[in-house]
Amino acid sequence: MRRFSRRGPLIKVRLTEYETSLLEQLIDDFASLLGGDEPQAIVDVDPFVRWQAEFDAPELDSADPVITRLFPDAYPQDAEASQEFRRFTQARQRDDRLEQAELAMSALRDTDGGRHPLQVRAIEVDHWLKLLTALRLALAARLGIERPQDADALDALPEEDPRSLIYRIYEWLAFLSEGILGQAGH
Amino acid sequence: MSSASVPWTPAGGTVTTVRETEEQAVDLGWVTIVWDDPVNLMSYVTHVFTTYFGYPEPKAGRLMLQVHNEGKAVVSSGTREQMESDVDAMHSYGLWATLEKSS
Repeated sequence: MRRFSRRGPLIKVRLTEYETSLLEQLIDDFASLLGGDEPQAIVDVDPFVRWQAEFDAPELDSADPVITRLFPDAYPQDAEASQEFRRFTQARQRDDRLEQAELAMSALRDTDGGRHPLQVRAIEVDHWLKLLTALRLALAARLGIERPQDADALDALPEEDPRSLIYRIYEWLAFLSEGILGQAGH
Repeated sequence: MSSASVPWTPAGGTVTTVRETEEQAVDLGWVTIVWDDPVNLMSYVTHVFTTYFGYPEPKAGRLMLQVHNEGKAVVSSGTREQMESDVDAMHSYGLWATLEKSS
């Protein structure tokens, strides 16, 4: 049975029950990190209300390496300009990421614990790829993957090492991304 | 960048606008730079360059390889506002991007 297949506008991904719950757990943790448990951010069309919401948005933990990787300095030589950039982009970026997480959770629920294939709509491929990439960046930050050789060292760890399992999950997320990307081509 | 572990086919995505080639581009003072990182997949980075910038596959692939081999590449140029918008988009894809004045 093929893992990834496509029929018209739908990409299907076969996941086991374990993989389904693992992915749900990863997404849930990620959403919590972004403050997804807090009251829903203001969705208002009034530009002034939106503008104010940007300033009132919950401060993300800038000491967390996952947060600094997801929201890197736009101006490496200018801390003030980078901060300003973040103030105008972070709230929306965060909302978009939470939306991607919600979309994925909903699709995962529809698999009924892996009994049915996961359905990825072709027009939503980028939402999935962004989410899977963010999950990998989060795991990479936790594992301390900063240079290519860091990944090689993790790959060589004995199975008993707890980091080994996290690294396998990180690799598995890459496999999922590539599989979905492969079906997205025309 | 992380190399592909699974065969893949190039993805085009929905191209709405096609940017000018470098030869045609006018210097508006600012550039967007994408930096190499060991996490993002080569196929994905190419996908982002074709999807977001609307670059043809060969150009997107060439820029991806430049990021991979040289550690960084200028992926777009324009006004400061345009480059902030591009950097914002690259961050949304999880790519490590910055902007600076063009030299």
